[in-house]
Amino acid sequence: MRVGLLPTEGKSTYRFMVLFLATIGILISSLPVIVVTIMSFSGSDNTGFPPPELSLRWYWDVVAMFTQEDANSAQSVVDSTVTSLLVAFIVMVISTMVCIPLAYALARGDRRIREGMELLFTLPLVFPLVILGIAFLLIAESLRLDIGIWRIVIPHVALVLPFVLRNCIGAMNGISVETEEAAISLGASPLRAIWDVVIPLMRAGILAGLIFALIISFNEFTITFFMYTIDVSTLPIWMYSRTVSSLDPSTLALSVFIIVADIVLIVLVDKLIAGRANLF
Amino acid sequence: MSTPDTHLHIDNVSKSFGDVQALKGVDLEIKRGSFVCLLGPSGCGKTTLLRIIAGFENASSGRLMLDGTDISQMPPHKRGFGMVFQSLALFPHMSVAKNIAYGLKLRKVGKAEQRDRVEELLNVIELPDIADRPVSALSGGQRQRVAIARALAIQPPLFLLDEPLSALDAKLRDNMQIELRQLQQKFGVTTILVTHDQHEAMMLADELVVLKDGEVYQSADPATVYQEPANSFVADFLGAANLVPANVSKDGHVTVMGQEIACDTGHPVGTRLSAAMRAEHIGLVPASKAKGHPVGAVKFLRDLGPTTELVIAVDEQDLRVRCDNATVPDLSIGAQVALSLDGGRLSVFKA
Repeated sequence: MRVGLLPTEGKSTYRFMVLFLATIGILISSLPVIVVTIMSFSGSDNTGFPPPELSLRWYWDVVAMFTQEDANSAQSVVDSTVTSLLVAFIVMVISTMVCIPLAYALARGDRRIREGMELLFTLPLVFPLVILGIAFLLIAESLRLDIGIWRIVIPHVALVLPFVLRNCIGAMNGISVETEEAAISLGASPLRAIWDVVIPLMRAGILAGLIFALIISFNEFTITFFMYTIDVSTLPIWMYSRTVSSLDPSTLALSVFIIVADIVLIVLVDKLIAGRANLF
Repeated sequence: MSTPDTHLHIDNVSKSFGDVQALKGVDLEIKRGSFVCLLGPSGCGKTTLLRIIAGFENASSGRLMLDGTDISQMPPHKRGFGMVFQSLALFPHMSVAKNIAYGLKLRKVGKAEQRDRVEELLNVIELPDIADRPVSALSGGQRQRVAIARALAIQPPLFLLDEPLSALDAKLRDNMQIELRQLQQKFGVTTILVTHDQHEAMMLADELVVLKDGEVYQSADPATVYQEPANSFVADFLGAANLVPANVSKDGHVTVMGQEIACDTGHPVGTRLSAAMRAEHIGLVPASKAKGHPVGAVKFLRDLGPTTELVIAVDEQDLRVRCDNATVPDLSIGAQVALSLDGGRLSVFKA
């Protein structure tokens, strides 16, 4: 018999509490998305809630921003978007390339080393982001090198590594040494065994890590705020600059586009890996 | 010196992990085409020995000679020994056919030949229609056979198995043992199997190697190991023998539980010994006809169909007895019964 999600027996106060807490949880996590989505359809110029009338004007504004040259703005939204996507892509590739061999070495190696390394890579998570931003800015400035887009890529990789690593290690845990040895006994060199057996079996975890890297990097604001320059800036920075003096409702319409893209990505990966790794 | 039909010579192999000595100077000659079972309790070093043969561990000292060539330093993927693992270790992301063909693919065998070979092997394991199925869709027995087929596909000089049947239920295991033996005979491949199950070892082996604490306690054909165990551990490990104290009472005779039995031990009079008796080698005689036989009380009695299992307490010592149902006297728990011992079937060891 399947155990029901909601308790059907016991005192009604218990049942009420479970439902109450679940509702609060769902509201807290979805309220911002709901508010932003409703506001983006507003027909008025100000950002009063609820909007007095509905229209698609801000969506047309977003389309116009991407298709027409904007002489007023210092940085164009197109440049920021391209930079954001490029950074996210590079971060995704680098973090995966680092984490697959690292996860393999840690999973097969000494347990104590593994725990220590995991802790080390988790440091950027527990560090206050502002301090991390200042630290990376200090490093970048003291180097006095024009490294272009890498100013943002490198901090993003540090930020994303623990998530990708955790997913890759999780995927490695399910692969027994015997499976690898079986390939070796059949004539595969150790490297070939990893390529033919370990990597395909890690696929679900690798994909989850990829998407994590992509989403975190694309949405990252705090560290990027310290690192961006006139030439190299990302979409979240551009959106912030549009809202800092007065809230521009077209930013909200742009947010909805990003939310939809994120959801599509998550659903796609969820289908692809079919519950064989956890995204969160 | 190795004889010409020695296929693998395990030459004085020792292995230590830190302070622990897992193998102590193991020296075995394995005949071409024979089925060898490494038998012993857990921690006896049998799996370590198999992994050294496969190349996954390096021996601390000693050599492995395959057909007179030293292969001790050869990496495992160059040895080309087929191996079946305890977990079977099938590749879950490949179909049955791809699993079996994996070793052939690595050897750059042509696609058509791969297909023929897979088909042939699937016929041999009597599962001709499962080639395209994913491994996850197979039953335990089917997986077992696919793992064996995968290892045999590369036509290995040595076929190694690490407790491959331990995960199967008892009835399936029995059938697989017979099938495995028949497959081995058909391919004529020299086979080394590790097991802790003495019944399995008896079913399969041409040569039984009993290991304990990293040492070979006895190496012989199964009947010899069973009937003439080299020491009390072997006697007890194979088919649970009754071990009782004995001593040499006069030349060519030993006294066991107060009964003097003709048995030539080669030890001087007065030597303290330990005697091993198989449960099925103890006869039961009605207590009224004891005539110097030891007498005990029935403590446990169970009719198992073909045989009856009894525990009989003689002087504080419990003895396991197994009788044919045709020969068992009418008994009940608590009844007195005399035991008849056969000197020819008694194994005695220095205590």
